Amino acid sequence: MRPDAQRDVRLLPVGLLLFALISLAGNEIGSVLRYPDVGTAVLFPPYAALTAALVVSPRRDWIGYILIDAAAHLVAHFPGWSLSWIILASAADIGRALVAAALLKRFFHGPPRLDGTRPLCLFVTSAVVIAPAAGATIGAMNVIVHVTSQPYWAVWSAWFLSNALTGLTMLPAFISGFAYAIGTSHVHVSRERLIEGALLGLSLCATCAFTFLGVFGRQPLALPLYAPLPLLMWAALRFGAAGASVALTAVTLSAIWSLDRGTGPFLSVSPHANVLVIQIFVLFTAVAMLWLAAIATAREAVAQLHNALLASLQDHVAILDGNGVVLEVNDSWRRFAEASDIPFFHRVRAGDNYLAACQSSADYGNVTAAGVLAGVSSVLSRNRRRFEIEYEHDHDNRRDAYTMIVEALERADGGAVVIRSNVTTRRQAQMEIEEQRRQLSHLARVAVLGQLSGAFAHELNQPLTAILSNAEAAREVLRRRPDAQQHVAGMLDDIVAADRRASAVIHRLRALLKRGDRRIQVIDTKLMIEEVLELAHTELITRRVEVSSVVSPILPALWGDKVQLQQVLLNLILNGCEAMAATTESDRRLVLMAEIDGPHSVHFAVRDSGTGISPELMDSLFEPFVTTKPDGLGLGLSISRTIVAAHGGRLWAENNGGGGAIMHCVLPVTEAMHVTTHSVVMPKFAAVRDE
Amino acid sequence: MTTVNTSRRISVAIVDDDASVRVSLQRLCEVFGVSAAVYASGREFLSSLDTGPRADCLLLDAQMPEMNGFELRRRLIARNVDIPTIVFTADDAPELAAHYSATGIVAYLRKPLSSDELFAAIERAVSGSGTPL
Repeated sequence: MRPDAQRDVRLLPVGLLLFALISLAGNEIGSVLRYPDVGTAVLFPPYAALTAALVVSPRRDWIGYILIDAAAHLVAHFPGWSLSWIILASAADIGRALVAAALLKRFFHGPPRLDGTRPLCLFVTSAVVIAPAAGATIGAMNVIVHVTSQPYWAVWSAWFLSNALTGLTMLPAFISGFAYAIGTSHVHVSRERLIEGALLGLSLCATCAFTFLGVFGRQPLALPLYAPLPLLMWAALRFGAAGASVALTAVTLSAIWSLDRGTGPFLSVSPHANVLVIQIFVLFTAVAMLWLAAIATAREAVAQLHNALLASLQDHVAILDGNGVVLEVNDSWRRFAEASDIPFFHRVRAGDNYLAACQSSADYGNVTAAGVLAGVSSVLSRNRRRFEIEYEHDHDNRRDAYTMIVEALERADGGAVVIRSNVTTRRQAQMEIEEQRRQLSHLARVAVLGQLSGAFAHELNQPLTAILSNAEAAREVLRRRPDAQQHVAGMLDDIVAADRRASAVIHRLRALLKRGDRRIQVIDTKLMIEEVLELAHTELITRRVEVSSVVSPILPALWGDKVQLQQVLLNLILNGCEAMAATTESDRRLVLMAEIDGPHSVHFAVRDSGTGISPELMDSLFEPFVTTKPDGLGLGLSISRTIVAAHGGRLWAENNGGGGAIMHCVLPVTEAMHVTTHSVVMPKFAAVRDE
Repeated sequence: MTTVNTSRRISVAIVDDDASVRVSLQRLCEVFGVSAAVYASGREFLSSLDTGPRADCLLLDAQMPEMNGFELRRRLIARNVDIPTIVFTADDAPELAAHYSATGIVAYLRKPLSSDELFAAIERAVSGSGTPL
């Protein structure tokens, strides 16, 4: 605000000087444009000048303008009129302008912009109805007291009409002019606009001369009255409220002049009636023209916003009509279309038919174009509201990924908007997140398995013990009794069996420890549960936890990555064991439940008899790095939830009524899972965490 | 290879919940001239004490469901049964060794057991030099 304030101070003298000149001139003109018999001006420019000055300047400058206005009154009228008349007339003028300025400042921020029906209504109410009425109330009194003994309301209405007319015709132009002069508004005028303005001005002058001043001879009847209308409309449509205001002022002044000359269409016998006819004619024409200007300005503003919005978008945007003809494209689209090494259907510009372009690219074997063609056609024919396609595109020696969205336009003529975005960076980021997630998941799995390392050692050492003992026994037997083949055969059988067992253990370990891409497959649910319990078996014994499983006899198959889902269940089981560390040994019970949950999912639950989950932990339980274990990473549950979510399932916790906690996990079964491996392979880690 | 003094046939009791380990150890002992009775759990072994003759030495698995080796050892002490005991474990956690030595055992061996180690320990146990570790 600081620079503006400085500019105000610097420009205040300019404004004041300008205003002083206008005021003096205005008062003179006002005197000239007087009603023939009542002494009230037909049009009173000082009203417009003071109101405009007050509206565009800060309140602290108002006093300067008011003093100048009063001084101008004095200078203009002093020798001729009594001081009391001048004081009252000034009071009426200033009061009226203050009312108008205060109301306009209240309704508008900054100089009023007549760019819609509502602002126009507010403007008319303030500056054309209320303020003139207030001024007329004092002014008519003054006239009655000092000048004439006419009925009060006759004088009042004469005052009111002249000020209303001034507000309607001159005020918008004055406001724009003042705002421009003191620098609160900046208008860039192009050469074309200047020429157009000059042309309009000349045409208007000629028409006024023809209509009102009788330059081309007397015209029959009142027909020429309509001659200015097209030019007024031109001004309103092309130059807004300010342009319409200037044109209306010119027409009004010409009409008043025509009365003096006795030319023009206002040919009533009584000058008073002629004045009234002019005022009514201009009043209604002005309302219509300002309204037209307001709507035109609003439309222009909408168009500007539309263009600015389109231009600001990084995405390439094209708007199609119902037949697929491109109505409009934004700068991004245009720039992309100018690139050299792109397929034909990417080169369309406004006016081209997009469907035809896709068709011809498709005819040349472009698969993407064929896909886009089908999608755009279905949206245009209203078979679907939205179509989305992802494709890759080699450009400038690199491969870019694009997403194209075609969205139906909700309007009577139909059509669609095509939005093409370069998603290469986004996709790369997604892949990085995916890679990090995979690493984290592996880390967590290794951590879980680290907890089980003792159990694995036991699992492996048991069969190795048997193998070794058998082997040593066999060797001893063979050393002592080389003939005892049968004996040896049995031993060797056992060695083989034990060896297989050891190998199976190693295999399971490897599957869990190995870092690699996910393997999406149909999973035998019961088998998966059995394997998890086997993995946890020794650990449960060591921790003295009594485990039982309540598993439905028939469970549908799941779809997903078995190792990951086992990781989740193992994590839940080990967490349960952990939760019971402080529980009396005989009370350490863990139940694994699995049952069909509706037609589309399997519900797993792991219930422990530990201390339960504290309320303050409940909310953050699934957030990363939240742990109650002294040596825990706090990633187990957060990763488990991510895995479950990636499988289209849900994982949540609750406290058990009888103490301890229950972890629930619902996973969709094979049939319910859409076979879009994409949603399983590329889970959105961040999105899952936000749940 | 250690040869066990066979002037008197030594008998051992093997307690291990894993059948394959149990059977293979029994086989190994028998081949080397040591008679071995096997028990699948601590409870089974405890009840055998009331009926049959007592073994010279107890070969005890540390990790078993229900009653683990440590607990069985404690119960034996509580019942005043003084039988030289060799504990073996498939877990390699060092803290377990300290745990067991507190209960006065002859040897603490890690699975898989080599016959040298095993019979040396048995010999130590039955020769009376079975001073607790």
